[in-house]
Amino acid sequence: MSLLESLRFTRGDTFIHNMDPRVKFLLTLVSFAASIMFLELVPLIVIFLVQLPLIVAAKVLREWYKSVKGASVIAVIIFASNMLSFYYFRGGQLTWALVEYSLALTVRFIALITSFSVFFLTTSPDKLSLALEKARVPYEFNFAFITAIRFVPVLADEAQTIMDAQRSRGLELDKGNFITRVKNYIPILLPLIINSIRRSLELAEAMESRAFGATEKRTNIYELNMTGSDYAVLIIVLFCLGVMVYAKLYLPPFPGLLGEELII
Amino acid sequence: MGLIEVKDLKYTYPHSEKPVLTDVSLTVQPGEFILLTGPSGCGKTTFCRCLNGLVPKFYNGVMEGSVKVAGLDTKENPIMKLAQHVGLIFQNPDNQIFALTVEKDIAFGLENLGVRKEEIYREIEWAVETTGLQLLRQRATHELSGGQKQRLTIASVLAMRPDIIVMDEPTSFLDPVGAEHIFSVLDHLNKELGITIILIEHRMDLAAKYVDRMIVLDEGRVVQDGEPTTVFAHDQTRLLGVGIPRVFELARRLNSRGVHFSRLPVSAQQFYDEIKPRLPEHKPPETEGTDILSGFAGEYHHQPAVQVRDVCFTYPGGVEALRDVSLTIHQGDYVAIMGENGAGKTTLVKHFNGLLKPSSGEVMVNSVDVSTLSVAQLARNIGLVFQNPDDQLFEETVEKEISFALRNFGFDESVIEKRVTWALNLLDLTEYRQKSPFTLSGGERKRVALASVLAWDPDILVLDEPTIGQDYGQKERLRHFLTHLRSQGKSVVIVTHDVEFVAESQPRIVLMAGGRVVDDGASKEIMTRLETLSSCSVAPPEITRLFCMLSDHGLPRDVLDVNEAFDILIRNMGGTTT
Repeated sequence: MSLLESLRFTRGDTFIHNMDPRVKFLLTLVSFAASIMFLELVPLIVIFLVQLPLIVAAKVLREWYKSVKGASVIAVIIFASNMLSFYYFRGGQLTWALVEYSLALTVRFIALITSFSVFFLTTSPDKLSLALEKARVPYEFNFAFITAIRFVPVLADEAQTIMDAQRSRGLELDKGNFITRVKNYIPILLPLIINSIRRSLELAEAMESRAFGATEKRTNIYELNMTGSDYAVLIIVLFCLGVMVYAKLYLPPFPGLLGEELII
Repeated sequence: MGLIEVKDLKYTYPHSEKPVLTDVSLTVQPGEFILLTGPSGCGKTTFCRCLNGLVPKFYNGVMEGSVKVAGLDTKENPIMKLAQHVGLIFQNPDNQIFALTVEKDIAFGLENLGVRKEEIYREIEWAVETTGLQLLRQRATHELSGGQKQRLTIASVLAMRPDIIVMDEPTSFLDPVGAEHIFSVLDHLNKELGITIILIEHRMDLAAKYVDRMIVLDEGRVVQDGEPTTVFAHDQTRLLGVGIPRVFELARRLNSRGVHFSRLPVSAQQFYDEIKPRLPEHKPPETEGTDILSGFAGEYHHQPAVQVRDVCFTYPGGVEALRDVSLTIHQGDYVAIMGENGAGKTTLVKHFNGLLKPSSGEVMVNSVDVSTLSVAQLARNIGLVFQNPDDQLFEETVEKEISFALRNFGFDESVIEKRVTWALNLLDLTEYRQKSPFTLSGGERKRVALASVLAWDPDILVLDEPTIGQDYGQKERLRHFLTHLRSQGKSVVIVTHDVEFVAESQPRIVLMAGGRVVDDGASKEIMTRLETLSSCSVAPPEITRLFCMLSDHGLPRDVLDVNEAFDILIRNMGGTTT
């Protein structure tokens, strides 16, 4: 949960926040591609290190740390499962190369998390929807996306109130065996669902009253304008992509850091 | 030709046999400010839906007669076209805010219409200024308070430059000061910009002074239509259970006893202006009537039922909701917790049954520390009834709904049967025993929720906003019911914004602001401390407001209800007492 929580947009007025969402998305995609492209520890660490200044510049260090902390369990699982499976498949030999390989996969995972958290932490849903609009995604889809985000806090509040109301009537959620526990949630889910249906009707009514769908050519008061710095970032990102593709295709694989010898 | 012309309107919802509206005919002139009222279920909301074509376009059903708005027949024109003339604002602001920021939500309607960007920005500018939201323009919509959200819904509709704004009970979730703010925004729109306003409202004491026409609906028919003073004076209005402003009621009774009014007032100010010339100038205030006895009456208290000591509470998100709250509620006490939205009232009562545990300090119920007990154990003694019945009703029948808690507490089947019958009887719900709670009206659902808590007969009853969305008659029944419970020795705590309800039942008042208890005392004391009240966004009842003005003329200030006010004024103004 904390992993998802930490991907929520935090408002700010930094260079990263103000970057054009399309450029930022490309940046994220390139980091993503880079992390997937390489399997060696050295380039993966480099990718990770390159991302760090972005986090600092966006002032989301704390939120990012939370997301990494949330993901740390998975990171440990990745490391351990790789170690174990390769240990057995390679005939029970524990080598430094194996440690390095497992470590590389773990760093790759963290780099992936980081690139996405920078994007989601610093891009307002409004800008995201604008980018979708530019990508010619139909407005109805876009509207559904924004509405979903808009109602997350409303629904969370409501769920809490319903839970409080039912507990006040003596409902004990964590009582009984697994089946009873699941059943215990019925008095909470039912009002939540019924309220949502009622709400959707009210929403539709309010949308109609605000002329939803009146014209094909809908205005959007926000616009995306590429600034000079956006172009600069775009060029840098494309250049990095080029370098990486070159390195991958034409340079020999990166040497290991820890060497090949057996540990035991 | 009127701005709105309704002729022989009759409407029946699909899957329903009884028409909701019958023979409604009326004309609205541009610039009118109309208050539309009537008992719950009288067809007010449906009437509003007719004005922008939601009825019959969105709801289908059978509509007869015609509705013309700004010359457009609602049957022939699409809702989106009508929406540019009629701005409809619904009860729950949350369900009509679509965007993530204030500015973007105001733009929503105009964006839909494809208006040019520059023009939209101009309209936003104007709309935020008119509704006082300038500083919140970039704010995220979910961070707004209830009153701010309601003002945003007005701004959003306003930006579309409608000729008519229709609001369905806009203030039911707001504290009195927030409500007053909404009304003054509407008043400004009406007086300065000439926008026609149709307002549905139960809070007559607050709303009556702004309007110049009142329409009362009952069972889908227009039964009264005219100037507020004429409508309030009519016996039919009274019989329907429409709330009559207290000052109006007072003046009417005085009038019939020889204290003549040239025009019956609907606000404290009007009342005062009328009788001021007849009062002696600046007499020192009379010793406050009730104080004579207080010297003799000893302080006697029952056992403490709930004790709250130095409680602080901070929500996980970091919001400090309670700061050093100390409070004792004794057995048999009747307490109203009042204060602005977000003052921590609900947070406080959630500590009584352990839903929330204090970050520091302690809460004791019947002298047992709550931190040692589970919510289910505490609930046996403390029945907490939440604001919105829809947040708890889920069973197929009313009977099952009421027995839900009894089963949770492990009562015997035979006892459950008896208790359910008892609770149904108590709240006059017996005829609905086998019905689904979802088919009942709002007021009935509220009673089912109350019955489902009363069924296990808790000693302490806590009601969160029991009067929201209730019409005058329902509130009266609730008041009698609470008196009945207290006569059985139960402690009753209500969390409320409804000052008029408080004025009539006169509980002990606990005033809260910013997570602290600001004041605590008898209704008469608290309601006359005007400065403290306003710092908590609570406005005194109109009668008290009137007597605060009259105190310059030698009358006591601490008068809350109509009967007492009547006696005092008759004595001082020489009307006939028999």
